[in-house]
Amino acid sequence: MNTHKFYYDLDLTMKPVDGVLTFDERGQICSRIGGNELLSISAENINEVAVLPGVGCGLLLSKMKDGSEILLCRFTMSYMRAAGEFSKVVNFYVQTKQYAAPDEEERPVCEKCSRPLVEGMSVCIFCYNRIGVLKRALQLMRPFAGKIIPAELFMTVSSVLYLLVPLFSRIIIDEHLRPMKGTFQQLLLLAGAMFLARALGEVIFILSSRVFNEASIQYANHLRNLAYEKIQKLSLGSLSKRTPGDLIRRVMEDTTTVKEFISDGGRWAVEQTIIFLVVFIILLLTNYKLTLLVFLPVPVVSIALSRFWRFIHIRYERQWRKNSKCQGILHDIIKGIRTVKSFGKEDMEIEKFAKATRELAEVSSDNETLWARLFPSLTFFTGIGEFLVLYYGGYRILDGTLSFGVLVQFTMYITYIYAPLRWFVSFPRWLADAMTSMVKIFEILDEEPDIKSIPEPKNVPLAGKIAFEGVTFGYKSYEPVLRDINLEIKPGEMIGIVGRSGAGKSTMINLLMRLYDPVQGRIRINGIDIRDMSPEYLHENIGVVFQDTFLFAGTIYDNIAYGKPGATPAEVIAAAKAANAHDFIMQTADGYNTIIGESGHSISGGERQRLAIARAIIKNPSILILDEATSSLDVETESIIQDSLNRIVQGRTTIAIAHRLSTLKNADRLIVLENGRIAESGTHVELLKKRGIYYRLVMAQRQTSRLAESG
Amino acid sequence: METARKVSESSLTLAIDIGILDLKKAEFYETPGGFTGLRYEGKDYDRIILRRALPIGHPMEYISVADKDNKEIGIIRSLAELSEEQYAIVAAELESRYYSPTVHEIKSVKDKLGYVYMELVIGRDGAKYAKNCAVKDVSRNIRMLDDDRLAIFDVDGNRYIIQSLSGLDKKSLKRLEPYLF
Ligand SMILES: Nc1ncnc2c1ncn2[C@@H]1O[C@H](COP(=O)(O)OP(=O)(O)OP(=O)(O)O)[C@@H](O)[C@H]1O
Ligand SMILES: [Mg+2]
Repeated sequence: MNTHKFYYDLDLTMKPVDGVLTFDERGQICSRIGGNELLSISAENINEVAVLPGVGCGLLLSKMKDGSEILLCRFTMSYMRAAGEFSKVVNFYVQTKQYAAPDEEERPVCEKCSRPLVEGMSVCIFCYNRIGVLKRALQLMRPFAGKIIPAELFMTVSSVLYLLVPLFSRIIIDEHLRPMKGTFQQLLLLAGAMFLARALGEVIFILSSRVFNEASIQYANHLRNLAYEKIQKLSLGSLSKRTPGDLIRRVMEDTTTVKEFISDGGRWAVEQTIIFLVVFIILLLTNYKLTLLVFLPVPVVSIALSRFWRFIHIRYERQWRKNSKCQGILHDIIKGIRTVKSFGKEDMEIEKFAKATRELAEVSSDNETLWARLFPSLTFFTGIGEFLVLYYGGYRILDGTLSFGVLVQFTMYITYIYAPLRWFVSFPRWLADAMTSMVKIFEILDEEPDIKSIPEPKNVPLAGKIAFEGVTFGYKSYEPVLRDINLEIKPGEMIGIVGRSGAGKSTMINLLMRLYDPVQGRIRINGIDIRDMSPEYLHENIGVVFQDTFLFAGTIYDNIAYGKPGATPAEVIAAAKAANAHDFIMQTADGYNTIIGESGHSISGGERQRLAIARAIIKNPSILILDEATSSLDVETESIIQDSLNRIVQGRTTIAIAHRLSTLKNADRLIVLENGRIAESGTHVELLKKRGIYYRLVMAQRQTSRLAESG
Repeated sequence: METARKVSESSLTLAIDIGILDLKKAEFYETPGGFTGLRYEGKDYDRIILRRALPIGHPMEYISVADKDNKEIGIIRSLAELSEEQYAIVAAELESRYYSPTVHEIKSVKDKLGYVYMELVIGRDGAKYAKNCAVKDVSRNIRMLDDDRLAIFDVDGNRYIIQSLSGLDKKSLKRLEPYLF
């Protein structure tokens, strides 16, 4: 027998338990904890099963036909999604008397270890493939390999040239100075060679690192553009899973981390490894006993260093966070400076910022002190090798079994051994950070757009009828915002949508614009499901003014022409005139070339709305959507705009949302939304006669306007 | 300055009735279905929803009582004004709407790919349970509620409370330390 199971984790008194709620194909709901059956009810008596979210937990309840309500079970937030699934299965049965297993839209799990994936991530944190990630990063680097590889090679050559210097020193000392038989010319020659090696190394280094840096910057740019492009294409639904900050961090900071890793980390890794090996071989060939002494402290130093890094890293991370907190405060205050000033809160804000900077200063100075204290002891440890070599080497020189030059050469090389060591220990941490950033970038690149454009879109002319058919939708799957919306809009009709704030009006627009897809049901234009059209085509043919108008930093002209790239000045002016924006634009010194600041804060709210209307109508769309588009305007300006809109709206379908009912006086039909359902629909007169919700709204507004008149 | 503020505050509360419930006329009861109901001024509300207005500072004061259509019936000024038996009912209902288990111990903390994984020991009334959770964006989701209390919000939307940071054992504190700021 088919049974849908929902495992829950809290009992009625909120104690953790392992409970299970089952629903079988005979329509029986059963709740069990361990072997005990807690309740058993038949779907025959049920009207609906609903999820009730609490804070940090939720519950499932069953609304019975007799009006009573029964608590089915409680669970923590980890089970919210599964609870939503359960309610869907039961409600489907209640409505259709059919049992349907839910679509496999369960929580995504890792294919390898079957641990649940973290929300918003497509890679399992436990078994992502490090090599694979690295390989991919390298593959993306391919276009720049022509620069990076030769540059890297030359840089290695330059370091090896440096390494020759101690060799020359040894030869000078042992073969010319100590025996006191070298000629001045030979000395000059050797010193010259030494100088040349250094100088050549320096020149090669400067040139190649320039090429290298250029290439790594290009690589970072490349990554950044890829990520940015992808973000533009993703749906609102998948974008709003992440905060804007998260996305910005991925595009800007993560790419920088990867770039830094490659330009500094990767480069050093190659260079230092080679240096380390070369020095090791040279030393071994010169004197293996001394070499062993040099390496004797290496394990100790490595362990000490890695401990040290872990310790210091945590502290620096803390400093970094304090720093970002300071920046956050600053950002906030500068953006909201108008509010701060008008509430006279400057002193409070200064104190808040001062406190944050004080804390930052404390942590930083702590860290500096610590660093200053620990660093010498580290150098001391590294010094042990030098000390051993000096002691043993000196002893052997006195003994006559070692040449003075070899000792000098050894002490010079010791630095070359320990410098990379210091660096090697911090490498794993560095690699881990870069890995994290890479995975985050790839995640964006790999995200499947959930609003998919189909391969062969049917792009019909849109001036047709719009139909909502049984549309149900919620931003979170367990909280429907729209329920079973059925609405047919005839071509050329003007529809007004009214309803309380939060009723779901703007949500209907979001669905029609296909910024989200409905959970159930569909929207058709001219009989074609909008999912079968290409989103680009759909958006080209719908002009929309959103409730929260957003203008881009730029000129007024650019903002209006945004709706139609390549628009002629005549078109821009016509659009502005239709939106009654022309006059105020002409009042400014620069006219249409006036620059409006970020999100248009340098102009008034109503002016902003008029620019947004101009932007929407410039492309002469066949469907026009106005979501509170004239709410900030005085009634007179509004009616001027409406008149001109009426002229252009002829034969065009218009959907207007407004709280001020006079805005909708020209509408052919009004829709009243209440709690996500269409509660009433009809003409103004019909709805008044009905004496329902609309009637009450009209009466309430009349009263306030009468108040205004009498007062 | 201080007196001026007081005057304006009291004139505001005089002008606007925040709808404090008259608890003498209120009777909370448990429904057969497992919910909490309220009889108030002759009306019977068969499933009420309780919400804390100030869940962090005053969890047992200013409790908003709404009917099942989410319309506010009124506000309980303080739970302390209830009789013992009524208090038990209301407190239990609140407890079941706000689930934020206490953390007793932090077994391990792993930082991977920008997510922090924690193995916690949670529970109350002496009972203890293990719970694993993943936290994203730690600087926002691990935060101090006041001087000594700390909240952890995981990716699922669960919340865990460390009632006293100074009372936490040394090892747990050390594991958590990098994420406090
Ligand atoms: N992006 C979103 N994510 C989650 N919930 C949302 C989102 N947008 C809206 N909501 C919620 O959906 C519900 C309906 O919102 P909607 O914007 O459609 O209301 P509205 O009727 O346009 O209201 P208003 O008249 O205030 O503009 C609200 O409860 C709102 O909180
Ligand atoms: Mg809206």
